[in-house]
Amino acid sequence: MKRIHKHSALCREVARHIQNQLDAELLSPACREIRKHLRRCPTCTAYLDSLKKTVLLYRRYPDPHVPAIMREKLFAILKTTT
Amino acid sequence: MATHLSDEELIKRAKKGDERAFTQLVRRYESLVYSFAFKVCRNEEKASETWQDTFVNVFRKLHQFDGRSKFTTWLYSIVTNSCRMKRRQRKLDKASVSIESPTESHDGSDDDPSVLTIPPWKDTPLDAVIDKELRTLLDEAIQRLPYDYRVVFVLRDVEGMSAEETGKILKLSVPAVKSRLRRARVFLREQLNPYMTA
Repeated sequence: MKRIHKHSALCREVARHIQNQLDAELLSPACREIRKHLRRCPTCTAYLDSLKKTVLLYRRYPDPHVPAIMREKLFAILKTTT
Repeated sequence: MATHLSDEELIKRAKKGDERAFTQLVRRYESLVYSFAFKVCRNEEKASETWQDTFVNVFRKLHQFDGRSKFTTWLYSIVTNSCRMKRRQRKLDKASVSIESPTESHDGSDDDPSVLTIPPWKDTPLDAVIDKELRTLLDEAIQRLPYDYRVVFVLRDVEGMSAEETGKILKLSVPAVKSRLRRARVFLREQLNPYMTA
């Protein structure tokens, strides 16, 4: 893999934050320094972007549908359970 | 039966043996349960079995639901237990890999060494339909994630539950939920990285 950036201790710190907080929490006043760092560090920005995209991909995964036959099967089982 | 009855009313009636109320509850939550079971199991047959076990358990245990938590929180805890039982019966954890650093630190102190070497991810396919190739990739990546991490990731990041709710469902502390979520995100990002930067 191509090394594009030698990270600093601050990058390491930022990485910890963005692994925990991907969206709204990064907007809080407490994260001002993180946001400042992100504005000038393309590597940390790319890292945040890739973590966000990871989550988004799983959110966008289409929901499967319940097979109709399962409902009939369930209620047949429940009748024997009572 | 009117479909607009609240969960509380349906539960009250179902506890008294009203079959139509129970049927209504099943219909209201069948998609949520199936979808969640599928997202955790990543297999239609296993999701179907988990779905069935979940509602059989709901039927048997509904009298134990005291209304102190949300019905969905209780339901999710039954699904996760059903999934776990199924995995034990089938010894299904072979496909997953162990996540490095077995101790769960609660201070956010694990580092992802790959942060050194991050090329930007491509924009697509987030704007497009998730095709079969990507779907397979997402399924394989999450199946390699150990179950205890996978279920936290699905509850928090996919289902949108809070850390507190997730902790209640899985009987975990909030710091443990956060720690597992962080590791799951880092692990999945690493799994998808070759595809997303190719």
